[in-house]
Amino acid sequence: MYRALLYKEWLKTRRVFYAAIIISVIMAVYAILNMNSVIETFGVGSLWLNMIQKDVSMVSILTYLPLITGLAMGIAQMTPEMSHKRLKLTLHLPYPTNKLVLLMLATGLLQLLVIFAVQLLIIVIYDAQIIPAHLVSRVVLTTLPWYVAGFCAYMFAAAVCLEGTWFMRIIISLLGCGVLLILFKRDDAMAAYNSMLILFPVLFIIPTILSLGSIYRFKEGLQD
Amino acid sequence: MLNNQEPVISVKNLTQRYGKGRIIYQDLSFDVPKGRILGLLGKNGTGKTTTINILMGYLKPQAGECRIFGESITEMRPETRARIALLIEGHVQYAFMTIEQIERFYSHFYPKWNKDAYYELMHKLHVSPNQHISTMSCGQRSQVALGLILAQNADLLVLDDFSLGLDPGYRRLFVEYLQEYAKAEDKTVFMTSHIIQDLERLIDDCIIMDYGRILTQTSVRDLMRDFARYTFTFDGDNLPDLSENESGIINPSLIKNEVELYTFKSREYVDKVLAENGIKATNLERRDMSLEDAFIGLTGKY
Repeated sequence: MYRALLYKEWLKTRRVFYAAIIISVIMAVYAILNMNSVIETFGVGSLWLNMIQKDVSMVSILTYLPLITGLAMGIAQMTPEMSHKRLKLTLHLPYPTNKLVLLMLATGLLQLLVIFAVQLLIIVIYDAQIIPAHLVSRVVLTTLPWYVAGFCAYMFAAAVCLEGTWFMRIIISLLGCGVLLILFKRDDAMAAYNSMLILFPVLFIIPTILSLGSIYRFKEGLQD
Repeated sequence: MLNNQEPVISVKNLTQRYGKGRIIYQDLSFDVPKGRILGLLGKNGTGKTTTINILMGYLKPQAGECRIFGESITEMRPETRARIALLIEGHVQYAFMTIEQIERFYSHFYPKWNKDAYYELMHKLHVSPNQHISTMSCGQRSQVALGLILAQNADLLVLDDFSLGLDPGYRRLFVEYLQEYAKAEDKTVFMTSHIIQDLERLIDDCIIMDYGRILTQTSVRDLMRDFARYTFTFDGDNLPDLSENESGIINPSLIKNEVELYTFKSREYVDKVLAENGIKATNLERRDMSLEDAFIGLTGKY
């Protein structure tokens, strides 16, 4: 049964998945070409200096891409469930409700993981050829909060889409915006990591609980 | 577990309101025995879809208890849910799937899945297996939904306003298929529809609801035997209110000088009430009636 459920989720999200993979690769290649251009103009030494002294990661063009990808994935996956109250069909399936919702969320997160991993891999493989390992890890550390923001945006978008009442949609949206603002407000990577540790329950556990809560409120008849 | 005497659906003292306001119904109780087709009939806003939402666990009732196959609907096991086929109002299905994909998807959930029943109906539609449900007309979607219900081979079918948005051809097709299937396979069906004439040939029992109450709950055969429409010519100017004081006369109406009234009482009783009210009725006759006429007679035209 879980295979059939994965199949359903895939049918809803595959277009966003393919589009996100293509855009992620294009943007990663674009970031690489930018680095190449700096190397050709000023030499690789200048690139190193910039990265060490000015804390430039050279991949800042990717900052908001995971966030947008996460939002698109959440909306593409959950909106079809809520339009015409199609969620009734899903909840009528002979499958435990909690497992059903967790499986849906896991499917979205897994697809995002693949998209983000492909992008990061392209950057890391290229960087490893031109800059030392500690600078590569610095680039990775810089980008990781963006990807976490992508997962987080997905979780909150899913919770908002699954919610049946406008009041709770607004509350969840505000909570999501607050969490994302905290993630992006940090100027340095270490501060972002500290935030992530503190915010970890908010980033994943709370949106999961909110999604499950939305489903239970739907079953209680709390729908606008 | 359900024994043979226990009803498939059992509703006891169900009470539901719109928010904290108007009562939809109070102390609604009914049973649906195994192998019967029960139609829940009522005007718009009388609580038909609300009842189905409660039965399927999408709405928590303010009071009362519902059991399906002996299990409380609030604690229904997935295995029990697999025995219930559900048609949502408007024939809603996963529109992002194709005819082939949706069959493959559902087949994993139901142990008695009958693929042939689905494709037999799909071949009649002249649509490609790769056609998306989102590109289909309402009539075609109704056939997809029906095909999936037939393939599921469930013990209980719950159908919410199956006739919504369908033209007469598709409505007829739906009714004929369902009738043959339900009778041949001894299925229990609980259904609503706002087009009463579709149900006349299909349902065994009916519950006719008005705002806040049940008007009658009986078999269609008994209703058509016991409930009568009388007409007569009236010479006076003002027709007395014959339905006052629980007289048993229902929804009397005067159009020009023709009076129409409905009752569960006998012809003799009608004669007596008319005489008591000083009404000289010419050409008093019991008229033939369809289920739709009976419905109008009980609920009124307005």
